[in-house]
Amino acid sequence: MRRYILQRLWQGVILLALVTTIVFFLGRLTGNPVDLMLPEDATEEDRTALIETLGLDAPMYKQFGIFVVNVLQGDLGVSHRYRRPVVEIFFSRLPNTLKIVPAAMILAMIMAIPLGIVSAVRRGSMIDRVSGTIAVLGIATPNFWLGILLIYVFSVQLGWLPSARMGTPLHYVLPTITLGTFLVAGFMRLIRSSMLDILDSEFVKLARIKGLSETTVVWKHCLRNALIPVLTLWGVFMGGLVTGAIVTETVFAWPGIGRLTFEAVIFRDYPLLQAVIIMDAVLILLINLMVDILYAYIDPRIRLAE
Amino acid sequence: MKHRGLLTGLLISFVLVTFTWTPLIAAEQKGTLVIALDTLGGQNLDPILETRASHAHFQAPVFDSLVGFDFEKGGIGPGVAERWELAKDGLSWTFYLRKGQRWHNGDPLTAHDVKFSLERTMSKESVASRSAALRRNVKSIEVIDDLTVRVNTKGVQVHFPASMSRAVFQEGQMMPKKYIEKVGVAEFRRKPIGSGPWKIVKSVPGDRVEYEAVDYPHWRGTPKFKRMTILLVPEESTRVAMVRTGEAAIASISPESLKEVKSAKLKVVSVPSTMQAVYYFWGTYRDDQKNNPIADKRVREALSLAIDRKQIIDHVMNGEARWPMPFATFGYSVDMDTKKWRKWSRKALRYDPARAKELLTEAGYPNGFDLKFANTALPGTPYMVQIGLAVADFWSKIGVKVKYKHYEWGAFRALRRGQEKLRGGASMYRTAGRPVAVARYMSGFHSKSLSHLFGNTKGDKNICPALCKEFNSLHKLVVAEQDDATRTKNTNRMIKLVADSWVAVPILEGMGYWAVNPKKVGAFKPIPGRHEFGDVFERMPLPGQMAWK
Repeated sequence: MRRYILQRLWQGVILLALVTTIVFFLGRLTGNPVDLMLPEDATEEDRTALIETLGLDAPMYKQFGIFVVNVLQGDLGVSHRYRRPVVEIFFSRLPNTLKIVPAAMILAMIMAIPLGIVSAVRRGSMIDRVSGTIAVLGIATPNFWLGILLIYVFSVQLGWLPSARMGTPLHYVLPTITLGTFLVAGFMRLIRSSMLDILDSEFVKLARIKGLSETTVVWKHCLRNALIPVLTLWGVFMGGLVTGAIVTETVFAWPGIGRLTFEAVIFRDYPLLQAVIIMDAVLILLINLMVDILYAYIDPRIRLAE
Repeated sequence: MKHRGLLTGLLISFVLVTFTWTPLIAAEQKGTLVIALDTLGGQNLDPILETRASHAHFQAPVFDSLVGFDFEKGGIGPGVAERWELAKDGLSWTFYLRKGQRWHNGDPLTAHDVKFSLERTMSKESVASRSAALRRNVKSIEVIDDLTVRVNTKGVQVHFPASMSRAVFQEGQMMPKKYIEKVGVAEFRRKPIGSGPWKIVKSVPGDRVEYEAVDYPHWRGTPKFKRMTILLVPEESTRVAMVRTGEAAIASISPESLKEVKSAKLKVVSVPSTMQAVYYFWGTYRDDQKNNPIADKRVREALSLAIDRKQIIDHVMNGEARWPMPFATFGYSVDMDTKKWRKWSRKALRYDPARAKELLTEAGYPNGFDLKFANTALPGTPYMVQIGLAVADFWSKIGVKVKYKHYEWGAFRALRRGQEKLRGGASMYRTAGRPVAVARYMSGFHSKSLSHLFGNTKGDKNICPALCKEFNSLHKLVVAEQDDATRTKNTNRMIKLVADSWVAVPILEGMGYWAVNPKKVGAFKPIPGRHEFGDVFERMPLPGQMAWK
């Protein structure tokens, strides 16, 4: 197990080095941030002065060298736009995202597990068809549209919930639903197909022959096994949500890291973009590592294979 | 004895007024004014760290500017300095400060603060948009006495005071010398103080800035609200929803939301003359473009006559835009004959497709020609894309085959520097509303400028045909002329030269748009030409104090 974890960590380090290099050069291909920072009638002299102030006048290989040395010392730089250390900015926004993502995950699991199981057990029934429709709608509905629709209905028309921003527990309801809807569909379809495989397996037949009740067979024996692939998807979704809740965070004015990434891209804030992507990569690697460990722990076949 | 009694009376009155005034104002200030904005820029609270106009939303409430606004007409007016004068030799400006101004910690605002602020803005550390220009134009700054400061300039700078106003740039924002020297720059950035009518309470990056009103009379207007919060809400439909539900009193919007806002019985406040949508023709002066149809003035005029500006105003801008004046000029522009030019633009910028066809035929292009057209939208003006599309459509109607390409603003800006890809074609552009047009003319047409639409004498280049030479000499006359009448005469000549060239053509005069919940704030007037409300918040009445029409 230890060797397995060390191997994954080593792969993670290589991946991070690659991500860092790609982000550094790709970011610069989009153009100079100074072009977006200065007013439209700024002179060439204004531009040159700002380029010097931001340290963008050195050749790119030199900038990269300085960047690598600084990263190795734990310094990811100062944001061009916010004029603050990028690590400080990242960690001031991360808790906001972490407040909304687990809520969406929990909502998704609460809805997806029963729906997925019932659809599998009653395959072809009305419930299965309705669940299938919900899944398709969940995947097909754009987040921004759903968010705006929810705001219109529950805030503007009914006046039940606040439109946007962080604050009271009520502020979490609409962003959580918006973010969770997409997940419900994905999880539900996966649980359904996984359950269908397991319901057909030998050990389930044996359990039934032994006279176990259908509830015990389904909820105890089948579900436990059906959740193993869900765990992998959970890791993928969790990483994706933490780093990519851009639309939901924008619609609900939620100051998380999804929106921060978006701002870094559109304003060509190189240091911030580099830091956000590196930190996101670290987060995703950690989440996936945790999932892998958990996976190995839950499924003895993986441990044995090791 | 008699005088002693009078003096005692005056002293008692002074003490009574001083000690009762503040509680009286504080008691009248109520509630929280909430504003939802699409951007807070970098949300830096140190004036030397912001480069773009968003500072005029969130820094302006805290920091006063050396030169202020003319609140009625737009353009510049008294600020921290109540008046200013140019020396006879034209090489220095003297600013006379208002008496009794103070910082939020109670220290008096003096000429030393002005000198310190300008020098800090000119420093290498500053990323303020025109810090380089200030370094280029200012020779030295002298404190004459506590209320008088002199700025010695490198050459005659007749428009220097305008550059010290937020009506133009942020370079004139005042910072507290003693406080910064005492607590250090890092602490100032954490807990900034200014001399404006609002004090900073808290700034949460990426979310909001909270303010508290000063509880003493302020020359800009004493706030009626006790507190104010400026929220960052990037999505427009969310901002509108927040105004509808009353979570915000005011929100910035684009023309696309006007119908929804009006139908929801909210108020729309349109700030006149905040920008002008224009298009440029690139490289028309070059020898390698002499066979290009756009090198012919008649063709350029024809393309203007082909545009139905009223239709664009009515349908793209939902009626919330105005007929333009000549390039980069507005009702509040200085040094020009506004009446004359308003009349000119009504006639010259008319929709006349028949005459447009005639001109094309005269120029030898009866069946039209191919035209490259780069469309772009500056930050905060997404509707520029639709305006550009409409213009392309009108050109197609007179037979021009428009090769349309859209560019993100940053990418377009890079193209503008080299100009190779723009040369021989047209592009959209926008000029912000500024009272002094000559700076725009410089950046557009001078042969050493970034756009250099009439010729190019930058670096080793030396292409400057007659039109370019004429513009350069007129520009020199305008910027150095101390006599108002002569400067106005020469500015009018400069405007005419550009207008008659049809190289930079106005399409419409845009406005800044705001959705307002009348139950949350009373009726108020914006400053013409200033989209941002940073200098208006203190004059916004409580709901019911001033009825909406």
